[in-house]
Amino acid sequence: MSANSLIIAGYGLNCEEESAIAFERVGFSSQIVHINDLIENPKLLDNFQVLCVPGGFSYGDDTGSGNAFAQKMRLTLQDALKNFVERDTLTIGICNGCQIVVNLGLAPACDKNYGVRQVAVTHNENARYQCRWVDLKVESNLSPWLQNVYTIHVPVAHGEGRFMMDDDQLKILKDNHQIALRYSKDGKAANGEFPYNPNGSTDDIAGITDETGRVLVLMPHPERGMFAWQRDDYTRLKDEARRKGQSVAEESDGLLLFQNAAHYFDINQLKKSA
Amino acid sequence: MSQRIEVFTVSEDGRAVTYQKNFRKIAPGITQIKVADIYTIEGPIEDETRLNDCLRSFTNPVTQKSFVFKEGQSPANDYHSTLGDFQWAIEIGFLPGVTDNIGHTAEELISLTVDRDKNVFSSQLILIDGDVSKEDVEKIAAELHNPLIQRASFKSKEEFSNDNGMDIIVPKVQLSNQGSAVDEIDLDISDEDLAKIGKEGIENADGSRRGPLGMSLLYMQAVRDYFKAEGRKPTDIEIETLAQTWSEHCKHTIFASPIDDIKDGLYKHYIKGATKEIREAKGKDDICVSVFSDNAGAIIFDENWLITDKVETHNSPSALDPFGGAITGIVGVNRDCLGFGKGAKPVLNRYGFCLADPRKDLQYYRGKDQSNPTLLPDTIMKGVVAGVESGGNQSGIPTPQGFLYFDDRYVGKPLVFAGTVGLIPREINGKPSHVKKANPGDRIIMVGGKVGRDGIHGATFSSEALDEGSPATAVQIGDPITQKKLSDAIIKEIRDLDLYSAITDNGAGGLSSSVGEMAESSGGFELALDKVPLKYPGMQPWEIWISESQERMTLAVPPNNVDQLIAHLNKRGVEAWDIGEYTDTGRAVLTWDGDVMMDMAMDFLHDGLPETPLTTSFVKGGEPEPDFAEPEDHAQTLLEMMGRLNIASKEFVAAQYDHNVQGSAVTGPLQGKGRVFSDATVSRPLLNNERGVVLSQGLAPRYSDIDTHDMARAGLDLAVRHALAAGGDIDHLALLDNICWCSSDEEQRLGELKRAIHGIYHLAKRYQTPFISGKDSMFNDFKGYDENNNPVKISIPPTLLVSAIGVLEDVDQAVSIDPKQPGDLVYLLGETNDECGASEYYDHLGYLGSNVPEVKSEKCYKLYKAISKINKERLCASSMGIGFGGIGVALAKKSIASGLGMDITLPDELRFDKMLYSESQGRFIVTIAQHDKDQFEKLLDGNDFVQQIGVVTDSQELEINHFKVEIDKLETAYKKPLQDY
Repeated sequence: MSANSLIIAGYGLNCEEESAIAFERVGFSSQIVHINDLIENPKLLDNFQVLCVPGGFSYGDDTGSGNAFAQKMRLTLQDALKNFVERDTLTIGICNGCQIVVNLGLAPACDKNYGVRQVAVTHNENARYQCRWVDLKVESNLSPWLQNVYTIHVPVAHGEGRFMMDDDQLKILKDNHQIALRYSKDGKAANGEFPYNPNGSTDDIAGITDETGRVLVLMPHPERGMFAWQRDDYTRLKDEARRKGQSVAEESDGLLLFQNAAHYFDINQLKKSA
Repeated sequence: MSQRIEVFTVSEDGRAVTYQKNFRKIAPGITQIKVADIYTIEGPIEDETRLNDCLRSFTNPVTQKSFVFKEGQSPANDYHSTLGDFQWAIEIGFLPGVTDNIGHTAEELISLTVDRDKNVFSSQLILIDGDVSKEDVEKIAAELHNPLIQRASFKSKEEFSNDNGMDIIVPKVQLSNQGSAVDEIDLDISDEDLAKIGKEGIENADGSRRGPLGMSLLYMQAVRDYFKAEGRKPTDIEIETLAQTWSEHCKHTIFASPIDDIKDGLYKHYIKGATKEIREAKGKDDICVSVFSDNAGAIIFDENWLITDKVETHNSPSALDPFGGAITGIVGVNRDCLGFGKGAKPVLNRYGFCLADPRKDLQYYRGKDQSNPTLLPDTIMKGVVAGVESGGNQSGIPTPQGFLYFDDRYVGKPLVFAGTVGLIPREINGKPSHVKKANPGDRIIMVGGKVGRDGIHGATFSSEALDEGSPATAVQIGDPITQKKLSDAIIKEIRDLDLYSAITDNGAGGLSSSVGEMAESSGGFELALDKVPLKYPGMQPWEIWISESQERMTLAVPPNNVDQLIAHLNKRGVEAWDIGEYTDTGRAVLTWDGDVMMDMAMDFLHDGLPETPLTTSFVKGGEPEPDFAEPEDHAQTLLEMMGRLNIASKEFVAAQYDHNVQGSAVTGPLQGKGRVFSDATVSRPLLNNERGVVLSQGLAPRYSDIDTHDMARAGLDLAVRHALAAGGDIDHLALLDNICWCSSDEEQRLGELKRAIHGIYHLAKRYQTPFISGKDSMFNDFKGYDENNNPVKISIPPTLLVSAIGVLEDVDQAVSIDPKQPGDLVYLLGETNDECGASEYYDHLGYLGSNVPEVKSEKCYKLYKAISKINKERLCASSMGIGFGGIGVALAKKSIASGLGMDITLPDELRFDKMLYSESQGRFIVTIAQHDKDQFEKLLDGNDFVQQIGVVTDSQELEINHFKVEIDKLETAYKKPLQDY
């Protein structure tokens, strides 16, 4: 079986190409679509099983990261998006895409309250952009994106990645198993400690889902950690392998999310050469 | 009537916390800070539904609360309770005409729900609570804004309550000009008056001057003579055009002029000459494709792709507005990439800052009586770091490689380097991608932003030393998102549709440069200035023509393609305008409503500038070698060396520059688990192609104090060596030169320049590493006063930055600096001599000395060829070029990076401290697995200085001969100095 992934581009989004490569790699047919083309033809979404809002700097983060792009989508695509997530589809928002999807109210969308902002993703605690590698722990088996994944080593790169919400909302997310990913330190909770939790995020939250788990939003970048050569410890892994007369494994943790999406749609994983 | 939207963050706010931390240094009594984002809308939005739609896009209901006022209205009931307790309110906004990116985004958001032409201006309100005096508030306000581009106002709690909040300010540009006036200028005047026009600018009717033209008397005389022959007086716009086109910034006159016996000038003779000779010698192995002829240089990446590179300087603007200068520098050099050939995709950024010590309060004044103060080193550093952060990150281009170099002589003129690497298919639509030409009949299409008074006289001003008369309008602020839209539309979609004949960037000199240069290939142009879109009415024609408003490209488009091109751009939210035609008339023509206001021969415009032969002199610098006792506590000395600014970690910069975007990072700026700042990085710009790009840079400005020849050669050697240490191959490596000089009207400085260029000419030839692009900046001098009114001239140390770019056949050749396993062997490769002159070690002790490191090119080349082979065999477990601080610092960095100790015995060729800290060039520290020893040494056969100096250990100590230091102490010393910035 084959499935199609749509990756949105334009107005400062900038991770569409590597995100498309991630989906292609696991067997999707992926298409990068400029937001203005999607607005012109929202029916396009009917042809796709996966929607990816990739990372970037839409509208330069002006008026709050993801806010402006979400406004543009909300005014033009709200019904189309609601229809899309209500079908048996998968949606992922990565970094700026996470901020956009949260501002659109597609996640966490508790009580199916699509369109209402229930959490905020805001300025890092140290008010400074952070580009560094983090360790994530998968905290819920709700999401199809995270089946059989337990830990992930991938980078973050953001100035506004701090999940914030009131205690009631936090409790709801916990009770519903909608907290998908937390920052961790040596396999344990980061407990807000910098740099393990790079942004001061509430309860070390790095990613959440909607109630179905089919919509996943996360601040870290799985597509920047899908190959071993992208890793911060690549030269060490490569050296270890060489001493054993081996080559370092080609793939890395980030690809697992995309592979899970492929499994969800029963894609035969025809590995394309990277 | 205007409307003001205030958006308060009511949850915990990282920005407020950071402000509080910083401002407590001024006013320890601060107890709380709140931050509000303000949007002032010219012409209120009356419709309640639409207003609420807009508010939704400005306000996050989870963390924020917003209030809307119209002029004279009282605030809502819960306004004061939301604000809570505070003693002072400070508001920071932009001055009229300054690029306001947030305001611009707000305008776009409003246009989604209301109508198109609302002006929106952003500002920030900061509420301060606690025991804070008025004087402290003034200090805080001063720290928050740059008066050149921003305004600050503040009110006490009482004033705030009485006035119902802050005042509504609409910073709209109001120009009284009549628009299309063109003045004829009489040049039939005395040489003295002629020289005055050249120096201070054309005189306005009121006697004021329009700002420096940077034209010498010789140039002004040539202009006078040309128009005498034409039989008429020149217009103001003609003189401004010539000033731009002939500026040092655009024509590189010093580099091009005959100098002593070198009749074809330094640039052609040595820089271009080296490349020409190298290309001939390499024959079929030549890696160059396009050199010195385009906005960037290009070498072969593989059989299908070219890789381009360009490094720019943006020094003068960064001295006045560090943030604006640096962001404009980085997004400007991105456009050089977009403007290469038919348009290359930016895939990597790099940066470099030469700065004064940010911990020192070095204060000078551009005017007498403490007027027009310079910015403090700390302010400049934070500003330039933030400028590249903003520009690079928002553009989605990874910024892995860069450096910070410190010397207090950069206090008045910081150096800001910004570079961009691009990728472009070798062929597009069956045609070589690097070939372009504007044809007669092609339309002149301007794409991107509108034109304002930004950057008027940027090109001529950057050719001059900074003094009191330096124009503030020379400052611009880049808008990365407008440019990103433009870049995506061109590179990812339109380029491959074959709609345009040529493309170039609008940089220094604006349209006058871009159109003037492109028209050289067609043989002329006719441009309608009245068709150029403006940010605000009232600009004079000459201002429109030379404005350096950012985010613009100029295209040459066959008439039949114009509609399709503009429609496609508009669909991507990018504006474009048809403003004229490329011709073959041999004339450069400007019109306004059909009336001709400029009509000059293209030949005169481009080649009419008179030659200025230069003569030089040279006296070598330096002091006698110092006679001093060897330090007793070597561990302590090493710790002190690690904390020197030119050695200490620059992690605070690397961690805020996105070096992973595009997914291409292989070895980054922070290496090993100890995150040591690296001198070179490797990237894989095409995720489905195993080839890699290695980037590195080298410079050694302090060596100029002894001899610029060795300064320049060390810079080149460092760049090459760092690239090889990271896994590079000397046979696939190219160089870029950035020459930042000072007082280039003095014979000694010109002599130093000639020696430097002569030095790198020979070294590049020996290494067979061609120069592919370069840039020079000749007057990096500050002229002003100290606090006691004493005249001060501070010149930078003559600085040559060499940037290297190379290709790895496979990224699995990449090598990092951190040793990998205990038991691995540590090698010192290369010869160590008594060369501490101008080193970090001597400077630490307060000496200069005379034994400056000399590059021994034959030995180096032999070693570098061997290293290239070793890299292909993947034999280095870790590798590092030895730079500032010599062997001692290199070993310490390697231990910090790996967390592994080393047991080292250095040979006793020199006194031990000199062995540790001599900065002899051409050396590496490499670690290898024991089982690779035979093969490694065999590949180094025939090299004189290959010494196994020790082993990697699993202890937590670095042991060198008779002393040892704990790694965590080294790490603290290395990371502490700059970690809080």
